[in-house]
Amino acid sequence: MSNETDSPSVAAAPVLATEQKLQKDLETAFPDLVGKITLQRVRRVWADVPMQSLHAVVTYAKEELGFWMLCTITGTDEGAHLGLMYHLAGDAGIVLTVVIAAPKDGPGPQTLTPLYPQADLYEREVVDLLGVQIQGLPEGNRYPLPDEWPAGQYPLRKDWTREMLEVSKENA
Amino acid sequence: MTDKDVIKVPLGPQHPALKEPGNFTLSLRGENVTDMTIRLGYNHRGIEKACEQRSYLNDMYLLERICGICSHSHTTAYVQAVEEIAAIQVPARGLYLRTLVAELERIHSHLLWLGVAGHEIGFDTLLMYSWRDRELVLDLLSMLTGNRVNYGFNTIGGVRKDITEDQRNDILKATDTLEERTKVYAELAGNEVTLSKRLQNVGRLTKADVVRLGVTGPTGRASGIKRDVRKDDPYAIYSELEFDVVTSDHCDVFGRTLVRVGELLQTYKMIRQILKNLPEGPISAKAPRKIPKGQAVSRYEAPRGEDFHFVRGNGTDKPERVKVRAPTMVNMQAVPLMMKDAQLADMPITLAAIDPCFSCTDRMIELHDEGGATSGTYSWAHVRQLGIQHHLKRGIDFANLNKELASWRERIK
Amino acid sequence: MRIVDRIVTWARLKSPWILHFNSGACNGCDIEIIASLTPRFDVERFGVALKGSPRHADVLVCSGPVTRQIKDRLVRIYEQMPQPKFVVAVGTCASSGGVFDGLYNVTGGIDSVIPVHAYIPGCPASPQAIIDGVVKLLVALENGQSTPVERPRVEFDSPDEPQGLIPADQLVRSSDQKEEPSANV
Repeated sequence: MSNETDSPSVAAAPVLATEQKLQKDLETAFPDLVGKITLQRVRRVWADVPMQSLHAVVTYAKEELGFWMLCTITGTDEGAHLGLMYHLAGDAGIVLTVVIAAPKDGPGPQTLTPLYPQADLYEREVVDLLGVQIQGLPEGNRYPLPDEWPAGQYPLRKDWTREMLEVSKENA
Repeated sequence: MTDKDVIKVPLGPQHPALKEPGNFTLSLRGENVTDMTIRLGYNHRGIEKACEQRSYLNDMYLLERICGICSHSHTTAYVQAVEEIAAIQVPARGLYLRTLVAELERIHSHLLWLGVAGHEIGFDTLLMYSWRDRELVLDLLSMLTGNRVNYGFNTIGGVRKDITEDQRNDILKATDTLEERTKVYAELAGNEVTLSKRLQNVGRLTKADVVRLGVTGPTGRASGIKRDVRKDDPYAIYSELEFDVVTSDHCDVFGRTLVRVGELLQTYKMIRQILKNLPEGPISAKAPRKIPKGQAVSRYEAPRGEDFHFVRGNGTDKPERVKVRAPTMVNMQAVPLMMKDAQLADMPITLAAIDPCFSCTDRMIELHDEGGATSGTYSWAHVRQLGIQHHLKRGIDFANLNKELASWRERIK
Repeated sequence: MRIVDRIVTWARLKSPWILHFNSGACNGCDIEIIASLTPRFDVERFGVALKGSPRHADVLVCSGPVTRQIKDRLVRIYEQMPQPKFVVAVGTCASSGGVFDGLYNVTGGIDSVIPVHAYIPGCPASPQAIIDGVVKLLVALENGQSTPVERPRVEFDSPDEPQGLIPADQLVRSSDQKEEPSANV
């Protein structure tokens, strides 16, 4: 059955060979990733990466390991900081998710648009909805919020509620 | 450019000086597009935030309505992620039925597309016939699920309705009919000069462009990139089905047409396999109301391309985070490239060929002249008419084809 | 003459022109509206014609909830229509915001922005319900009823009809179309 769900107590099946090789390649190229890579299941690999290493790791994954597609960027509110998950894919069907932490109130990572043009839309989305400060984004329309959306309001943050929108309209 | 080269476009329903935020902005030199920008977000509703405030099951009904054309895609991608987090093993019969509805949805979507594409180029008989064929599929879907659109077929842990022997036979019979009719479309696409003349070299996208922009689905496969989530990252029961990934080397709208028609023929094969091998047993496993802490990524080959979902659970009955990336979001970004140095007349069909959300073809188009000044804001319908007129002058007239298709179809009835 | 024949005749004489506007929600209702035009359902036999221009339209057929970005365009289109003009909200989302009601970028159903004369519920509204709604609207037009339904937003389980409004039995609605349950657990 393809709907596999490996629970942690089950030993890794031999089919994780490709994933293990991927892990090894990453750890060899970036030794401080040892202990930071998880093989969740077949075709699902996760890597916790420091924000300043994001570009180097993603460039390596793209140019050397064949991850030519950036599926999307998932932004999260982790409480003390923001989380950014860059989901990469290639021909082999593996999704490599590179996870970084970004400050809620400070410069975030550099834009990945030189590597992946499609990052433009995904980065603008986390800028609009979570307030990540992506550096170096070229000029362009915001996405997805309307132009008249009040500044400083990030709907996907856990402490944001719709009422805050009405209040700001009253004060406008 | 002399006067006779200029096609007079009657000023449309919108006043040319209307201050309308153009969703599509094109810069023209004469009739050639020198630049195009697309503004998205007009139907941003706030779904991801809402998901955090509703139960997992309610979220499924919400996500289903992201797009009424590939609603099963969204619910399946979502429940797969939830099932993975909660380590729920969906019974085999449930997976088979889930896959069955997935492929039926693909049929309805591709036939819908065929009709819309026909409409965009003035081949309206195609719209009438492909949508009439589509009604067969909608009848099957409403028989199986209770609704023509937005089926609500999935649940966390499986599917909600089983299939009877009679329904199984009805589906097989309808599949035969649909295959016969689709073969007419395949013949049309393969042999009709008018159609190929109209669609070839329109909306060009090289293989390298597809890779650079991460284009997915039939749009990417029409440029020779053999990627299909059903093969590369199999889900449901696709690893047990025999089917080909359909590609084309045309790299244009014609190629995208061939790929979709080819995929229909593959889908009929798959449906027969599914119904032949359908195992006995329950159709769903019990799912807890509270989903444990954990996260999962789920991918699905929707009719339009890769649908990508991310779900994170936090041990409660509401998700911590739900992220959806629909395929049109990716493919839309390739359209400005397809339109570079292309003709304004080809914009409607080029956009339609990525199979965008239907409402995209209702958007306002803002035109700029070379100096950057706005020369007008036009409705989609108007640019469509412009396209049809323009190609009529080239000798591409669908009047005969409209008649031929009608008589073909009356013959096979 | 049966009532349907009378309506069809009147409709063909008056030939109301329909402008279809969708605020880009899920497209479910939009494809059912188009399906109504295809031979199987053939709403055009009632004489209604789909037109592209607000300046010539009699009836504005709307689908989808209203997002903040689309709001102004909807108002503009409504203002461009000449009198008399009528608005039909197709589908649960157009009627009330539907499953998207309360989301941060949604203002509500169509009537949160412009007056609505007829509501066709359903998720999506089926072609049969759409045609039923269109015919009922034509009946109302023929009978000279052109007052928009003015009502504050009513909660789904509210038992009382608000005071001073058009009585329920004179409202134009598709009476045999039930609302789809939103969470059929």
